[in-house]
Amino acid sequence: MEMRLRRAGAELTEGVRIALQSLIGARLRSALTTLGIVIGVTTVIAIVAIIQGLNASFESQIQVLGAHTLYVDKWKWLNVEGDWWLYRNRKAIGTPELKAILRESAVATAVSPMIGTKAPVSRGEKELTGVNVNGASEQYLATGGGSVRAGRFLVEGDVDMGRAVTVLGADVADALFPAASPESVVGQRVVVSGRPFAVVGVMDRRGRFLGIPLDNNVLVPYTTFGRVFGSKRSIAIAVSAEPDKLGALEDELTGILRQVRRVPPGKPDDFTLNRQEQFLRTYRSLTAALYGVAVGIGLITLVVGGIGIMNIMLVSVHERTREIGVRRALGARRRTILLQFLVESALVAALGGAVGTALGLAAAQLVALLSPLAAAVTPSAVGVGLGFSALTGVVFGSWPAWRAANLDPVEALRYE
Amino acid sequence: MSQPPLIDLSGITRIYTVGSEEVRALDGVSFQVARGEFVAVVGQSGSGKSTLMNILGCLDTPTSGRYAIRGEDVRGLADDALADLRNREIGFVFQTFQLLPRSTALANVELPLVYRGVPRRERRERARRALEAVGLGNRTHHRPNELSGGQRQRVAVARALVGEPSLLLADEPTGNLDSATGEEMMRLFAELHGRGHTILLVTHEPRLAARCPRAVRLSDGKVVADGPGREVAALGAAPAAGAA
Repeated sequence: MEMRLRRAGAELTEGVRIALQSLIGARLRSALTTLGIVIGVTTVIAIVAIIQGLNASFESQIQVLGAHTLYVDKWKWLNVEGDWWLYRNRKAIGTPELKAILRESAVATAVSPMIGTKAPVSRGEKELTGVNVNGASEQYLATGGGSVRAGRFLVEGDVDMGRAVTVLGADVADALFPAASPESVVGQRVVVSGRPFAVVGVMDRRGRFLGIPLDNNVLVPYTTFGRVFGSKRSIAIAVSAEPDKLGALEDELTGILRQVRRVPPGKPDDFTLNRQEQFLRTYRSLTAALYGVAVGIGLITLVVGGIGIMNIMLVSVHERTREIGVRRALGARRRTILLQFLVESALVAALGGAVGTALGLAAAQLVALLSPLAAAVTPSAVGVGLGFSALTGVVFGSWPAWRAANLDPVEALRYE
Repeated sequence: MSQPPLIDLSGITRIYTVGSEEVRALDGVSFQVARGEFVAVVGQSGSGKSTLMNILGCLDTPTSGRYAIRGEDVRGLADDALADLRNREIGFVFQTFQLLPRSTALANVELPLVYRGVPRRERRERARRALEAVGLGNRTHHRPNELSGGQRQRVAVARALVGEPSLLLADEPTGNLDSATGEEMMRLFAELHGRGHTILLVTHEPRLAARCPRAVRLSDGKVVADGPGREVAALGAAPAAGAA
């Protein structure tokens, strides 16, 4: 047993040695042979790198929406069916719904209305136009609304009393108070839509979500918002639950809302419970298609590359007929010869795969540099690239190797 | 006498089918070779000596008849078993040397040991000693194209001997060498014979057969003479006289 293992080991290292020798001996030919594989792997690695970069950036952005939060809304997010009039004709969602949820929901851990409009915000001579003014409650942060950098967030008293207080988004704070520390901004006064507000806090920077800046806003109590901008408009309500209670929350909210909105039994809901997952699902279906394309291209090029390898291996077997005869005469078994040629074709292909991986990574970095697309590569992608190209070598090298192994030693030795 | 002869051929027949025609390359060949003998198989081209050499070397199997090497019947052995038998029992020396062009002399000589699973270090050492034994201890890292014809054939002999086979099977070993180098090669074989190696020399030259202690003459696939090399060679030298 030990003898057999040692023999197999010796044959394998001999196979690798021969393969390297013949690769080095015919450098140009080896390079041309692997070109197909190189191009294929380069393409796939570059595409996968870009997709993975997009995924990473999307997944960090989607955190803006609470993972365990349902957003009660008149509108359905990402509504692609085109029946917008159906949503438009729905009754507005307002204070009765909010109160009903606050009063009746047992599963909810945090509830905050979300309402917004664009309005000018100024401080002295400095005026910003088109700032998002968001009305919310003191529970807004707990529904996934970000965090406070300095000062405090809205408190229950602000909401109950409808106080003229505001928490500034990071961009607004920077623009109105350039070079001032967030702490020193707290206690200052700003004018929102012509009315004075006291700054009680500054938010942490949140970045962008799908290209929309999230820090160009000011947060005010929704009660105050109603007084300033009117309370007729439809609001959204963010409702959070424990991570494993999202389904229960959905059932509960549906019941509460149907009751308060008097939806007769048998009629469809006239509201929507939106969630983060909708974005993820849409996004994933998009990237799945991209992955599909990448895999398709990869398979086609691997097959093309594989045929190139098969071709060159057939030539190689032909050229080395006498060598095969000699090896057989000296005691090489059929499977030894088979192994030798399989190792060679796998090595050529894996080499092409390695070069392709390096080029693919470089291409992805270049794309990342020249465009807003991010690029990230997981080690698994590299492993898959190398593994698949080696596998291609084995698959397409097996017929030439089989032919080599089954040459008649007498004929092979006599071959000129 | 308890030991079987090293080589035992009886009634060896080999028939090739070429198209619809049958060619009897060997027709009932029988002889034995004892351990330590130096035997020439001589005959003109077409006499069947190449076929015989292939069968002796376990590269081919007879259509009928029995071939035993060290008492082991070769008939019916699977391909793997034949490969192992070649590796263990036969050392080939070919007319065209048949060295691997891209490998060094040392790597060429190592090859039979690779297929036997000998560890690398031991392989190296034995290959080096085999090269020294044929007078090429200072040429171990040369490639075949950096060696003369005679040196190449010595590498081939070293490769044939490195695995300590029972039989050295040389097929026209001087055929591609000039006469002086060929002479050197014959002296090497005589020396190896002196050291106890069993050698079977396949040749078409009666001149070489005459220098072997024993020769077997083949003609049309049959053994026509078997005796001391000088006598068998002389028979072939004057075929006209024998026919008349």
